[in-house]
Amino acid sequence: MAASNYKGPAFDSSELKELQAKVVNACLILDREGITDGFGHVSGRVPNHAAFLTIAQVSPGCAALDKLVLLDFDGNYLGGAKPAPYEWPIHGCIMRARPDVMSVCHTHSKWSALFSVLKKGLRPAHMYGRFLPQAGPPIYSNAGLITSIERGDALAGALQNGAAVLLRAHGDAVVGASVEQAILRTVQLAFLGELAHLAAVHGGPDYLTEEELTTFAGERSFPARPWEYFLSRLGERRIA
Amino acid sequence: MAANAKDIPTIDSSELKELTDKLITSCHILDHEQVTDGYGHVSVRVPGADAFITIANISPGAVTRERLIMQDFAGNHLDGAATPPNEWPIHACILKARPEIVSVAHTHSKWSTIFSVLPIKLKPLHHYGKFLSADGPPVYEGVGLVRTIERGNELATALGGGPAVLMRAHGDAVVGESIEQMIERTTRLAMLGEWNHLALLHGQPKYLSAEELEVYNADQRFPLRGWEYYVNRLKGKLE
Repeated sequence: MAASNYKGPAFDSSELKELQAKVVNACLILDREGITDGFGHVSGRVPNHAAFLTIAQVSPGCAALDKLVLLDFDGNYLGGAKPAPYEWPIHGCIMRARPDVMSVCHTHSKWSALFSVLKKGLRPAHMYGRFLPQAGPPIYSNAGLITSIERGDALAGALQNGAAVLLRAHGDAVVGASVEQAILRTVQLAFLGELAHLAAVHGGPDYLTEEELTTFAGERSFPARPWEYFLSRLGERRIA
Repeated sequence: MAANAKDIPTIDSSELKELTDKLITSCHILDHEQVTDGYGHVSVRVPGADAFITIANISPGAVTRERLIMQDFAGNHLDGAATPPNEWPIHACILKARPEIVSVAHTHSKWSTIFSVLPIKLKPLHHYGKFLSADGPPVYEGVGLVRTIERGNELATALGGGPAVLMRAHGDAVVGESIEQMIERTTRLAMLGEWNHLALLHGQPKYLSAEELEVYNADQRFPLRGWEYYVNRLKGKLE
């Protein structure tokens, strides 16, 4: 592990306050929406720096401001709670490979886990899938948790420029240009998985074609709408 | 083989407080996570004695401290509530056969029941199945409740050195070296059962091989994480 040359805002600086609250709320949302169980984590990139905030060995549903940790892309500890999540390289390696990514969600979503062990691919059968390729997200098929930079880089290689990658017998990693987008995609990926499963049980859905997906893929008119909705569903659990 | 009750701490002794609190919490977790219905029971070994504590004829989701019972491995009543669960030999016989085991859960888990009557095995297709062998838990084929030591011994034999045994047309028995491990395994066995069911509707899933499971076996470092999460989900339910 190379020594850190991080020169960004300190863990408890006012600059990171908003991102901290956002990462905690994002974790609570994934728990509230039934995506995560006791495991998984969400990260938020420190803007313009090779570092990210995530939760330190706590279930997303138990996330709190004093359970956050700041790490650089090599896994060096920069502040906050300890220890870092076991699979921190999911975040470090994807963010290093993808400067456009501001947030990564890793979950053991039942629907992603299901399609990760099937041959058919989690293909979009609903317009929510406009962030996915027509064949569905790629599958990272190696066994083993993502506990090393080598595995993290291999995962980032499987993700490529996409929005999501399934981890075989494990779950998924979903990225966004904001925490809000990563959360929305994660929730929608689970919805798409359930829908594709239900439809497949009936003989197979009429999936959206590449052209049809493009029709839906325009700019979002109301990008803040789902985040506002998810926050409202947190009720008193929401962090201000 | 009656245990010498004089040497064994009582259910309400300070010595057993932590274990009995955990036992009660574990029952409520199995209820809250919908692994149990109105039936099933969980036990914990009394440290250093041929005895265990379980719940006395009450649903796991309704258990209170007053409903705990202590028995020895022959089924003799040692302390607590009067009526033992019908199937106390599940606990007595497994704990006797497996000295390293601290806790046993017996549930009528929907997912264990399904795979107990199918020709298809419940096999690991997620790393949550790392506690299982690649070909999944064995099935105890004996029909009828496990109400005798003879049947309990048969069940313990079917379990062998493993973490779980499915009971045909009945449910399962899952063991752990701690109450926390028993809970993690019981909840994960149910998750794996559901995921096996979902995947099999699509054809043949790509299971984890024995070699791949080994990769994960080396990886477990935070055994209490799941317990903390499940306890957190009980907030507002337990005092």
